[in-house]
Amino acid sequence: MITPQLLISGVIFGLSIGSIYFLLAIGLSLCFGLMRIISLDQLLYYSIGANITYSVNLLSGNMWWGVLAGMAVAALASFAVERVIFLRIYARDPTFSMITSFGILIGGIGIIKYFWGVVPRPVEVPTLLQVSIFGTEVPVYRLIVIAIAAVVYIGIWLFLHRTIVGKAIRAAIEDVEHVEGLGINVSRLFTLTFIIAGALSGLAGGLHAPLIMVDPTMGLEMLAFVFMVVIIGGLGSIKGTLVSALVIGQVVSLGSIIYAPMAQMAPFVIMLLVLLIKPTGLYGSPVFKR
Amino acid sequence: MSREILSVKGLNAAYGEAKVLFDIDMSVNTGQIVACVGRNGAGKTTLLKSIAGFLKPTSGSVTADNTLLSGMKSYDVAKFGVKYIPQDKKVFFDLTVRENLELGSYATKDYNWDQVIAYFPKLRLLMERKAGHLSGGERQMLMIGRAILGRPKVLLIDEPTEGLAPGIVAQLKSTFREISLKTSLLIVEQNLPLVCAIADKVYAVKDGRIVAELGDKESISVAACERYL
Amino acid sequence: MNALRWWWGILLTFALLGIARVFLPLPFMNEVVIFSIYAMGCNFLIGRVGYISFGQPAYLAFGAYACAFYLFYFGTNPYVGILVGVLGGLIVSLLIGPLFVRLRSDYFAMVNLALAVIVFYLTQKVLVGITHGDNGLWFLTRISSTPLLDLTIPSHFFIFSLLLAALVWAFYKYLDDSIYGACCLATKINENKLQFLGYHNFSIRLLAFVIANSTTALAGAMYAVYLGFVSPEMASPSRAADPVIVTILGGVGTLFGPIVGAIAYTGMKDVISKLIGNWELFIGFLLVFIMLVADKGIWGSLAPVLEKWLFRRKSPDSRGHD
Ligand SMILES: Nc1ncnc2c1ncn2[C@@H]1O[C@H](COP(=O)(O)OP(=O)(O)O)[C@@H](O)[C@H]1O
Ligand SMILES: [Mg+2]
Repeated sequence: MITPQLLISGVIFGLSIGSIYFLLAIGLSLCFGLMRIISLDQLLYYSIGANITYSVNLLSGNMWWGVLAGMAVAALASFAVERVIFLRIYARDPTFSMITSFGILIGGIGIIKYFWGVVPRPVEVPTLLQVSIFGTEVPVYRLIVIAIAAVVYIGIWLFLHRTIVGKAIRAAIEDVEHVEGLGINVSRLFTLTFIIAGALSGLAGGLHAPLIMVDPTMGLEMLAFVFMVVIIGGLGSIKGTLVSALVIGQVVSLGSIIYAPMAQMAPFVIMLLVLLIKPTGLYGSPVFKR
Repeated sequence: MSREILSVKGLNAAYGEAKVLFDIDMSVNTGQIVACVGRNGAGKTTLLKSIAGFLKPTSGSVTADNTLLSGMKSYDVAKFGVKYIPQDKKVFFDLTVRENLELGSYATKDYNWDQVIAYFPKLRLLMERKAGHLSGGERQMLMIGRAILGRPKVLLIDEPTEGLAPGIVAQLKSTFREISLKTSLLIVEQNLPLVCAIADKVYAVKDGRIVAELGDKESISVAACERYL
Repeated sequence: MNALRWWWGILLTFALLGIARVFLPLPFMNEVVIFSIYAMGCNFLIGRVGYISFGQPAYLAFGAYACAFYLFYFGTNPYVGILVGVLGGLIVSLLIGPLFVRLRSDYFAMVNLALAVIVFYLTQKVLVGITHGDNGLWFLTRISSTPLLDLTIPSHFFIFSLLLAALVWAFYKYLDDSIYGACCLATKINENKLQFLGYHNFSIRLLAFVIANSTTALAGAMYAVYLGFVSPEMASPSRAADPVIVTILGGVGTLFGPIVGAIAYTGMKDVISKLIGNWELFIGFLLVFIMLVADKGIWGSLAPVLEKWLFRRKSPDSRGHD
């Protein structure tokens, strides 16, 4: 029986998980939109964020320092990867970058195993407070996660629409050559975008850590969901990513209340249905512009 | 006194295995409008792209204002003051006219939009409109407008009047004359009457080679150009 | 005399594999041969159609489970089981193919991976009633002995799988040389310009999709018979890249690639796992290295060298035929 209490906590749960999906998928989507690469290594930065959060939380006792440190390390790692690896493959087919980034992801998982071992570890939730929403007790931490994702979305929107660098990125998403033709160094934009994407993935990992167990392969477990989010939303569309992350979050959360296996199956079915109607996702552009 | 601002010597270019340009020599002086004519597929676009650094020439050199451009990155070429305006009239559709101009200013640090408005008064009224909603003529004005920010030395314009209404072509014609007082123009153009009206020099391109150079006003005529097409 | 040359190639390769059997442990050899069949489907998709699929474990699992259901619930004959497995793969790819091959190649790669994850959950959590979830299905003792080649005996199984691999290999060779192979390449190289052919393009891809995934299902069914056991682990997303890695390791689009790749991959996995124990680290960096530096793969880089070497030693008259 679905009670209002169950429904409210289900919706909040769905929003928080959707927020994590969004933070992770936004990187993949941005990288595809601008650089035309499929950056599976975002899931590595997610794992890095979570593992660093775990360690820093152990040392300092404050998870938020861990999240910040996780973001910083994730940003650094993504910077290195972009400069050393992706720089060489921008000109090639997107599926080429997909294989390469899968190699980075797997190799990175190996490195995480080396430092942290394979045992799943819990991270304690920074606040056990609950607030009452329409008579339902809801954990504050999940609300914080939702709020952070909202702030990130607004921040990205402002960055892309109100700063000149953001405008250049939007222009380059449309046409890289024309931006270069004006005299703007597009490869700097690429690097910057990649770092932002990596940092957000790290943030997603850090925020997710207290809600799940932290282990080396946690990125692989998220892979399918993040894929489904970006495919449904349409590769390269930020708005599409948000909409589809929220939808998938609710489907996973409310679906599992009704019938547990739905949590995994329903997003997949939705994805197939969307692709049946529009092979490039809800907000994806139908053709390659480059 | 006019001096040489752009010079191309022995330029060869290819897409992979397919050679497209063969031993191109050309020069543009300050204050000049130079036109390139030739059939579709002759290699005119390839020529402009090679000059602007979008395509790496297989051999030969491009020099502007005593600086070697060949080998420079395309955005450095643009920054240096040789700007390419592509054929496709693709302004940034999702950005407003204002934002399109801002990007031109961002790259060149030239925020003086009055010069742009002076050439294209119409743009003032369209500032907040999405560039994707502009007409073909307005797009071309915006493309040229955002390119002349930073007072470039040479503008390379690829088929600017293709598909535009006659009224707008006439307007562009006088604008090109005004712009050429400050910035030399190298224009690829199929509209021969227009070419003859504005060009100081005409190069005829055929199958990747320059087959004729009409170097003075008297020799430039539609009939003369047609002979080489 | 081109035909003669590749026949020699195939005989030589499989003779070498047969001989290697004397020196190397049988389980290793069986693994290599099944893996090379697994990779052949993937190789065809990548090399000929330009589709990279990170979802091959799904089709492997379809074949394996179809075969396992037959052997666990209905019959005992392993040959029939393998046939059922291939049919299972064929039917599934016919059902989902029309939707999948409409997708752009990047979406295709992602959707397939999502499929693998879903199949993993299906077998692990949803269809527990018939798949027994993580416990898997055990039917080793149910498989009946057959005359001639008794698949319950590992050495017989090896001969059988070797023959089957040769057959599949020859089939792909035949496809490559046919008009159809050329059509596939055309859709890969010039997706946009062939698009106005619409339906034509679509059916070429659909056929390639069905052929490749039926091959993968065959490999799955062979695993099922060989191990006498299936579990959701087969569709595990963490192994999604295995066939892709093998294909790339061997050399995309080359005929010998899958075999060379399977040998190299299985061998390295054995050695590296024992030596440093961190397989992921190794394979990840190897993959990146191959993509950046030697994207022709082992066979792709080796073949020209080998060919040159062979040509030098050949008599002038045989050279004239090439
Ligand atoms: N990206 C490309 N790749 C390969 N060949 C090209 C490419 N772009 C143009 N070409 C070829 O180069 C030749 C010249 O093209 P182009 O410079 O565009 O001619 P024009 O601008 O004079 O019409 C044509 O034969 C065309 O087919
Ligand atoms: Mg052209």
